[in-house]
Amino acid sequence: MKGTYLAWVGKAWLGLILFFLYAPIIVMAFMSFNASQYYQLPFEFSLTWYEKLGQNTEILNAATRSVLIALTTTVIATTLGTAASLALFRFEFRGKRFLQVMLFPPIAIPWLITGTAMLIFFYGVGLGRGTPSVLIGHVALALPYVIVVVSARLATFDVTLEEAARSMGADSWTVTRRVTLPWIASGIIAGALFAFAVSFDQFVVSYFLSEPGDSTLPVLIYTSIRKGFTPEINAISTIIIVISMAVMLFAARFSNFGGER
Amino acid sequence: MSTVLARQDRLKIASLLSPAYIWLTVAIFLPLSAMLYFSFLSDVPFGDAEWRYTTDNYQAFFQTSTYATLLWKSIKLGLTVTAVSVLVGFPCAYVLAKVIKGKSREALFLLVILPFWSNSLVRIFSWAIVLRGNGVLDLGLNAILPFEVDVNLMFSTPAIVIGLVHSYLPYVILTSYLALQAIDDSLIDAARSMGANKLTILWRLILPLSLPGLLAGAVLIFVPVVGSFMEPRILGGRVGTYFGTVIEDQFVAVFNWPLGAALSFILLAVVLLILATASPVLRRAQA
Amino acid sequence: MNKHIFLATSVALTTMGTVVLADEIRVLNWQGYGTDQDWAIAAFTEATGHTVVHEYFNSEQEMLTKLRTNPGAYDVVLINAAFTPQAQAEGLIGPVDSSLVANFSDVSENMATNQDLNAGGALHGVPWTWGLTSFAVNTNEFSEMPTSIEVFWDPAHEGKVSIRDDALEAVQFAAIATGQNINDIQDLDAIEAKLAALMPQIKTYWGSENDWNQFMAAGDLDVATFWSGSASRSMASGLPVQFVVPDEGAIGWLDGLSIPETSTKKEAAHAFINWMIDPEFYVKWAESGAPASANAKAAAALPDDAFNKRVLGDPAVVARVQFQRPVSDENREKYLELWQGLKAAQ
Repeated sequence: MKGTYLAWVGKAWLGLILFFLYAPIIVMAFMSFNASQYYQLPFEFSLTWYEKLGQNTEILNAATRSVLIALTTTVIATTLGTAASLALFRFEFRGKRFLQVMLFPPIAIPWLITGTAMLIFFYGVGLGRGTPSVLIGHVALALPYVIVVVSARLATFDVTLEEAARSMGADSWTVTRRVTLPWIASGIIAGALFAFAVSFDQFVVSYFLSEPGDSTLPVLIYTSIRKGFTPEINAISTIIIVISMAVMLFAARFSNFGGER
Repeated sequence: MSTVLARQDRLKIASLLSPAYIWLTVAIFLPLSAMLYFSFLSDVPFGDAEWRYTTDNYQAFFQTSTYATLLWKSIKLGLTVTAVSVLVGFPCAYVLAKVIKGKSREALFLLVILPFWSNSLVRIFSWAIVLRGNGVLDLGLNAILPFEVDVNLMFSTPAIVIGLVHSYLPYVILTSYLALQAIDDSLIDAARSMGANKLTILWRLILPLSLPGLLAGAVLIFVPVVGSFMEPRILGGRVGTYFGTVIEDQFVAVFNWPLGAALSFILLAVVLLILATASPVLRRAQA
Repeated sequence: MNKHIFLATSVALTTMGTVVLADEIRVLNWQGYGTDQDWAIAAFTEATGHTVVHEYFNSEQEMLTKLRTNPGAYDVVLINAAFTPQAQAEGLIGPVDSSLVANFSDVSENMATNQDLNAGGALHGVPWTWGLTSFAVNTNEFSEMPTSIEVFWDPAHEGKVSIRDDALEAVQFAAIATGQNINDIQDLDAIEAKLAALMPQIKTYWGSENDWNQFMAAGDLDVATFWSGSASRSMASGLPVQFVVPDEGAIGWLDGLSIPETSTKKEAAHAFINWMIDPEFYVKWAESGAPASANAKAAAALPDDAFNKRVLGDPAVVARVQFQRPVSDENREKYLELWQGLKAAQ
């Protein structure tokens, strides 16, 4: 199809969709440089909102808290999830199918329901709201994504490689460390990125579980949208998307997801 | 692999699996059970509140037409958003997987999934700035077009659909792309050499083979959209009342948690029912 | 001068044997509603050493929910007097010791003895501010100010109208429009019909003062319900709006500051309430837009052209106000059902 008329139409379509995907993000960035507090046009360039952001400890603290929670979530969920995927891949046992099906409720049940259920439960057992509850919730939401993504990568793994290594006398830990993990590294990185994204953009569960004065960035943004949204939010969002872009490009060098197989 | 497990293997399985599954149990399954229990209480058992077991909360759903109307409205929204996303996203995934080659594909793929890393609320709020009267879209179109148009999509159902499609489109592109990438190009070449035309190839070969990915994406979109409350609230204005917004109200504004829980489980049951109805199709697609 | 009185009070508090340690108090309030003025908090911290953290709510129900689910999390909470008896009955708030609030003696007599704030036979909320729920119009769209609430139903403003997404407020608003007593609604069907007729006129519901300002700034609205204090703030920030108290009347409310039963920093909470009803605080707050003060001394200290003196000080206006009283659970549920049904039908 290369070079044909249809291919051009296809590429144009892709371009149009990318424009659709990025239009609001560009508007968001644009408005962070606009002087009007009420997002009024015409556009008038100003760095006021970045200056105000620099002094807004509430937003900066929330952003820092979000990054820390997302990083912790990523580490825990990726470790536990990879371990579980290895067990699900390597062994046949009764109840395996059930365990695989159990991964779907957290993805399939609307977060609104999961979040309120967590609030009721954590409140009932005396843990209440707060960062520990938020963290427990985030890891639980990220886990299924990690397991699904890592398992998908494991499915392409050639078992004979492990057997060959084992026949040469390597013990199972060495096999895992030297043969299996390097092979699924790109899956683990993709899973970790998913976990980070799930946690970092998670507002429903955080909204119900975070403590007054200790909210994460998405919660702060949600409450601001309802109560008092200023372009400072645009400024911090712009900074975040730029950092994300850098991180993604960096991660892309280490994994070839999406590229040639 | 043998089905009879050595003691050592069993230990290994347990040590690898239990951390993840214990976590899921504590954070997801126990809370959901607690919520189910709450939905049968007359009042929240905190403080000195008096409560008893009751099915009133479920009956409330049937007593007025309000909840059923809103649930149906939410399901329609879910179907619309899913359909639009699939129709728009699948061709996109196809172009990405089969037309574009090499390094630029990787770059474009990253561009498609990057919006996930920006805050979904901020994106929705940006749509508000784009869609409202005298907003970016209005000014932009009037700058290009020779005649005067008055675009004010804000606070309407189309605005909600646009915002939701934007939020969830990458899911269906992602899953379809992964499925399409797995189709061997030589299969397509073979079909073509046997004289099949493009439409036949698409309908008889590509679509069936990529259906699992397409459906997975559709489910990932449909489920959260049915329960959505933030997007309708911000973009919908007067028409932005949905089943999800009513549930949110029960939890954060009206403090009727038992009713909120009952409504949540009704939503969950309906979503699972829809998925169960769709699952034979899913299974056939995988076979 | 007043600052010195304030300082002296805090010093007196310390020397009276109640050791005031530097605490962090948590205040639950509407956003941008006085207690979170940066300069006011800074002055309070400087004088007492206590620091202040805020959390916000969007409705009285949300406020009650937060109090119920977060015992011990808050030290001062703003409660509309119509809700004080309920909060008191549920054991959410404790009595306020007026002897620890030096400025309490300046509070207007009729407000200090308000029966709702004195629920359970003791002072449970210190009268802080009062105001009206009526409406404001975009002055660019009106050559002369409307005098009737019927402007909401005027076809000329179709799709340019907004009311707050709140069942009680919507019902009481319609009660005014149908000439009923907001605290004793007899004809609920008339209210439902009136609101149903209003629905096609509505562009969107507003949820917060900030929402309101953005919709007005974008030109989305011609006329919308609003609170008098918020209207004075919007006018002070330069929006082209004007607050109207129509011939049919308006809803009046009285806000009190209360201390949650579970607060562990009650000394600091009393000190904060005292600062909040201080005339020095109020006069400065009123410059940027504030509701009317319950402190007679503070109200008198306002300049003559101040919004609160000009509009709310007019006896003809005050005569048209119906003050909100507590609403029974049964009625509240009826109103909620009515409002949800109307919204769902859209």
